[in-house]
Amino acid sequence: MRVVVDLNRCEANALCMGVAPEVFELTDDDELIVLQEHPDESLRGRVEEAVRQCPRQAISIEEDS
Amino acid sequence: MSTATADLYYDPYDFEIDADPYPVWKRMRDEQPLYYNEKHDFWAVSRWDDVEGALKDHGRLISGHGTILELIKANIQMPPGMVIFEDPPSHTTYRGLMSRVFTPRKMNAIEPEVRRYCQIELDALEGQSEFDIVEVLAAKMPMRVIGMLLGIPEENQQAIRDSTDSGLRLDSSDDYSTAFKDFSGSGTQDLFGEFLDWRMENPSDDVMTQLIHTEFEDHTGVTRTLTRDEVLGYVNLLAGAGNETTTKLIGHTVRTLAGYPEQRHELRDNPELIPNAIEESLRFEAPSPIQSRYVAEDVEIHGQTVPAGSAIVIVNGSANHDERKWGPTSEEFDIRRSMDHHLSFGYGLHFCLGAALARLEGRVALDELLKRFPDWSIDYDRSERSHTSTVRGWDKLIVVLD
Repeated sequence: MRVVVDLNRCEANALCMGVAPEVFELTDDDELIVLQEHPDESLRGRVEEAVRQCPRQAISIEEDS
Repeated sequence: MSTATADLYYDPYDFEIDADPYPVWKRMRDEQPLYYNEKHDFWAVSRWDDVEGALKDHGRLISGHGTILELIKANIQMPPGMVIFEDPPSHTTYRGLMSRVFTPRKMNAIEPEVRRYCQIELDALEGQSEFDIVEVLAAKMPMRVIGMLLGIPEENQQAIRDSTDSGLRLDSSDDYSTAFKDFSGSGTQDLFGEFLDWRMENPSDDVMTQLIHTEFEDHTGVTRTLTRDEVLGYVNLLAGAGNETTTKLIGHTVRTLAGYPEQRHELRDNPELIPNAIEESLRFEAPSPIQSRYVAEDVEIHGQTVPAGSAIVIVNGSANHDERKWGPTSEEFDIRRSMDHHLSFGYGLHFCLGAALARLEGRVALDELLKRFPDWSIDYDRSERSHTSTVRGWDKLIVVLD
């Protein structure tokens, strides 16, 4: 899977970072960094949770072909 | 429509229903998850899945005709800069200008200042046996904080609040058609305008200065700064949306906790539970419980077609009580409830820009109240609900200290 964040949508609500800190990090300037663009399958549950919890719907998952 | 459900009636302008809308919303969820109101000609969704789905469906359920039912019906031209009443691409542009201004990190940074203000206001109540919490704190605090962020001098703030309030209020159940004629802020435009003109000559480290000077590429591809009208629209929106709703949040929280002394004591003894208590208060009594949209193209909901050109009311306050999402305790207040999110701030494209600010004000106000006054009750005979079709809560809430 590939984690995609629409940075035009992201407003640094930081929920994704709470759910999956291995994948998402906010800098001190409130910019979002995707630490693992292709996280391990074992993290799928929490990445999906981050997708659901993002109040701005800025996160999506693209499946590897 | 079957005769068995013929007496189900929901009307956001009916003050009696508005006083306790939850039984009606429950019936809507159970009996008519897609509800149609003939009198005012609108559709409504009330279940969690449908409400969240409708909020996500910003391509077909649009905000460009307003998000308040009477605005959509009146077909009023929206003033520029009102992001809440815009769709992509212009929404993306305008909203982007403020996308890093109200983040949780930035809001938490102003906590000491917000807390100090709150302490001064509450310390002044020492020795009193009762007070109107709306007057002494809930109405003043949001104006003061948004004013602080905008850089507006304190002496101008009350005048602005009075003007916004009168624009939102319904005088009687039948007055809705004209209630919003001033929503574009004809009164506040002047007050903010004066300050804006001064601020253009005297830049500072505040949101107003940022709005005036930030360069951006607009949706037509031109790089520019906001026009004066756009800045005024933006500022009116921040003040209007930020004040009333946060006032209602504080009022609801104080009123609800009056009825749950055990939970109140638990909060006093465990202040770390306060943030979750504020989330539960937001869920339990949504300050802005209905959102309206214009239906730009036909949508099918529960097997029925809602035709293009209709108005649809998205009852987020009902979704927050949906048993299908929250289980059998959905109608109970529980400060320890475990939740991922509620829909009181909306969801998706128009998710409340000031959510982190509202949360900050809510938890600071509750924390400082509990520190001083562990026990209170409400004198309902002297309290008054406010009547608008969009914001629900108390205009006057008499707190009696025990």
